[in-house]
Amino acid sequence: MRASRRGDPYWMLLPTLLLLFVFFIFPLGMLFEHSLFSWDLLTPPRYVGLANYRSLWRSGELWHTFATTLSISSAVVFGSMTAGLALALLLDRPGRWAAFVRSAVFSAYVVSWVSVGLLFLWLLDADSGILAALWRFLSHGRAPRFLADPALAPWAVAAVTIWKITGYALVIFLSGLQDVPQSILEAAELDGASAARRFRSVTWPLLRPTTLFVATTSLIASFQLFDVVRVMTQGGPVRSTTVFVYAIYEQLFLDLRVGRASAEAVVFFGILLVLTAAQLWLFRAEEGV
Amino acid sequence: MIPRREFLRLGAVAIGSVAAGCAALDPVPKGRTKVSLWFSYGGTNREVLESLVQRFNASQTRDFVQAVYQGDYFEGLAKLRTAIHARCAPVLSHVVGEVVPYLAEAGVLEPLAGYPGLSELDIIPELGQERTWVSGNARPLCALPFNRSTPIAYLNGELFARAGLEAPRTWAELRTVAKRLSEPGAEPRFGFGCPINWWFWVALVGQAGGSIVAENGRISLGDAAGVRALGLWQELVRAGSMKPPPGRDYNAWEQCNQDFLSGRAAMIWSSTAFLKYLEAQARFKVIAAPLPAGSKRAVPTGGTFWVVLRSAPGAEKAAAARFLRFMHEPEQVITWSTRTGYIPVTRTAVRTLEQRGYYADHPNDRVALAQLAVAEPWPWSVDLFRIQREIVQPRLESAVIEQRDASALLSEARALALEPT
Repeated sequence: MRASRRGDPYWMLLPTLLLLFVFFIFPLGMLFEHSLFSWDLLTPPRYVGLANYRSLWRSGELWHTFATTLSISSAVVFGSMTAGLALALLLDRPGRWAAFVRSAVFSAYVVSWVSVGLLFLWLLDADSGILAALWRFLSHGRAPRFLADPALAPWAVAAVTIWKITGYALVIFLSGLQDVPQSILEAAELDGASAARRFRSVTWPLLRPTTLFVATTSLIASFQLFDVVRVMTQGGPVRSTTVFVYAIYEQLFLDLRVGRASAEAVVFFGILLVLTAAQLWLFRAEEGV
Repeated sequence: MIPRREFLRLGAVAIGSVAAGCAALDPVPKGRTKVSLWFSYGGTNREVLESLVQRFNASQTRDFVQAVYQGDYFEGLAKLRTAIHARCAPVLSHVVGEVVPYLAEAGVLEPLAGYPGLSELDIIPELGQERTWVSGNARPLCALPFNRSTPIAYLNGELFARAGLEAPRTWAELRTVAKRLSEPGAEPRFGFGCPINWWFWVALVGQAGGSIVAENGRISLGDAAGVRALGLWQELVRAGSMKPPPGRDYNAWEQCNQDFLSGRAAMIWSSTAFLKYLEAQARFKVIAAPLPAGSKRAVPTGGTFWVVLRSAPGAEKAAAARFLRFMHEPEQVITWSTRTGYIPVTRTAVRTLEQRGYYADHPNDRVALAQLAVAEPWPWSVDLFRIQREIVQPRLESAVIEQRDASALLSEARALALEPT
């Protein structure tokens, strides 16, 4: 279809561009500007150049937040993909039981993050939680303090996130599995390939675009982690679960350091930009573009 | 399938319910001056405050206070500061003591001395601006006390009686008592529980003979006393006698209360604010006791102060001042303190309670009041709140939970406190 007047596409794009400008480009510009000031909202802003970035770097906070986010994200991406794929392989069959389990696993995905946080806060309680009671029953020893031990808390948060988003990975992998041509699988079977070999040589290579998609969405979900941290650990103990979004929230809303929070958000934006570019590049390489 | 008309009707009902929920505040009667009040009390304290607000609204026809809950102290403060910037701040709110100097120096607080009767309130000096801060009376009056507290010790009377122990009076006794009441095992009991929180650390620093800011204004964080204070916690945790509760800010406080109520901690340090709650919830006799002495006895005061926001219209500020006068009348002060556990803030209220024999019947209520004799003032420092939240608090957790070197952590904190903001 061809536009009757040259300006038509631009007029039609204008509402979207306007929304994009108001809610994305303009705030982004403000974010960059604020990152160069020291400001607490109450007293006049003071220009400090790159001091906010230097301070974040020198205090080790930036690196610590990045390392924490990356550790939790890696666990979430790996865990949700593995669990999602395993469940998809198990549940890719007709029948009421499989349908029920599929729905049950996916239902976690539609529960709100805050509810999930509260639920696991109770389940993981080292004194009165079900998990602790089970631990004591089996080992007759003291249950680990999942949310009070800096060595365990990040993994507890990651596990909760995996539990929450695995249903989504399951659904995507199921649709991916249904796209795998049965004829190829049957041919492989006739050639004497075992189930493991069929998965390794047929299913897995054909699932790669799906895997990449699941990896991207899990990565985004894990980098946006906030609610569970806010409800379960408030970034502690000893900042062991202070992920990027929570760190920005803390700087901005609790410490009211607009400049430093903006600087942290700019860095976070940069990291996400690099990750997105890498994902896009991988997608295109996959498609042979 | 739901018919379209029914679907639209249900949708309208749902939207209406949400709108009604959002607009659940009592409407301001015609001709009365509205006073918007943002508060941060939950549970019983919220109920008591709301009942006092209702009492005020019913007692006269000139002003009308609309009280809105805004989350805990820190959430409420974040909202308040954001609202001040967005020019939609309430007329009246209450903030923690540590933040008053910062807000006052930022020029957002209304000086209160000019309002009739507010300078003449017979406030207990240790709880008012006069002695809550060093040279507090040398500054324009901008904060009035309402819910004021000190940290106190709560003892499980049953466990203490069974062990034949009394409340520890010194740090040495605290170590011994905590150890004797601790029971290891799959479901351990700790002799002592305390949130790893700045307020309790400041108490320990005072008891160890130090102060957060030295007399010459240098941010010392207690120097050697600060290290000794942290050392006590570290030692108790290492010995298995103390449980640092999980969670941060008030989540840790709540967890500590739950540990006490469930018998997992035989003795805790918490605010006097929880006295009535703990007494009502505990299935054992709760005994309140003063904090023990290190090289001396010392406690900080805590809780919040009423502040009137300068940005509000004059008529509303005058109405807020009238509400504050009402809240400092003996009956209101008595209702508040006897139903919550906070310290009564006026001398008349204390005298009245003594005359009524209240303290003889409720000895736990006297503990925090008596501790005011050893209350230490806060420095009037704009940076105090930043030092507390950003610099000291994370290092306290690190020292106690990760058992890192207290001296190195506090040196690091002192260096950071000196950096420009």
